[in-house]
Amino acid sequence: MKRVFIAGMVWAFASSVCAGDHRYGPYPKRYMQECASCHVAYPPELMTAVGWRQVMQQLGKHYGTDASLDAGPQAEISAFLERQASRREKHAPTEASARLSRSSWFVREHGPTLPPKMSFARCEACHTGAEQMDYSERGLRLPAGYLRRGD
Amino acid sequence: MKFLLMLLWGLSASALANTGVVAQIQAKLATEARAADASFQGFSAQRGEAFYRARQGDWSCATCHSDQPASGGRHAVTHKAILPLAPSSNPERFTDPYKVEKWFKRNCNDVLNRACTAREKGDFIAYLLTVRS
Repeated sequence: MKRVFIAGMVWAFASSVCAGDHRYGPYPKRYMQECASCHVAYPPELMTAVGWRQVMQQLGKHYGTDASLDAGPQAEISAFLERQASRREKHAPTEASARLSRSSWFVREHGPTLPPKMSFARCEACHTGAEQMDYSERGLRLPAGYLRRGD
Repeated sequence: MKFLLMLLWGLSASALANTGVVAQIQAKLATEARAADASFQGFSAQRGEAFYRARQGDWSCATCHSDQPASGGRHAVTHKAILPLAPSSNPERFTDPYKVEKWFKRNCNDVLNRACTAREKGDFIAYLLTVRS
């Protein structure tokens, strides 16, 4: 019995280490108000400052919708995003529109495409804790037909 | 009893405050509508409903906010749930002039490819105020 308990503890510890933390936030109220209405608040840590600058400069044409902001909130959120941004090359944008879902890290983790009627914008469809900034594997529910990393 | 009275007072006071904000928004829009067109006779919920449902290009207001604005909607691109637009179902609606202007600016541009006129905005709000949950 004791051995099972110890094995369980080791497994729990190992899996938490392997899975990484995958928890983010909390983020400023302004970011949540302005950037989490149409999609969950994406963790700023998952794209570089260059990428966030590109996103914030194109808010009038934000992936098919107008997400423009007044100058005050725009400057405040830009500063926050750039401060929190990743410094790793794998999180750098790979195209002018700077989609977070096209970085080399994202594509490696999620694959290049999704089943019909799904959107990479809607993290919470699979990462069931995404609204609470929790992207841990424990909360992951993969849809039928989803193939990751070209499986 | 005293607590219940206090609660009722609080609720009615906040409901009145909300009515006050939407009335102020409508009054400002009416002034603008009159300035744009001297024959302006006031807002119309009927025109507002037609506007709400009219598809202009790919989208109408109803595309994201659903055919029944007392129910929730879904974002056309991200599919994220949107809370009801009708104040009868969601008393937060039209209580913050900054949010109202921000969303009119964005969504009119998305649906109409231009800014909405003051009359269109006023008609739209007039319609939503008549929707019962």
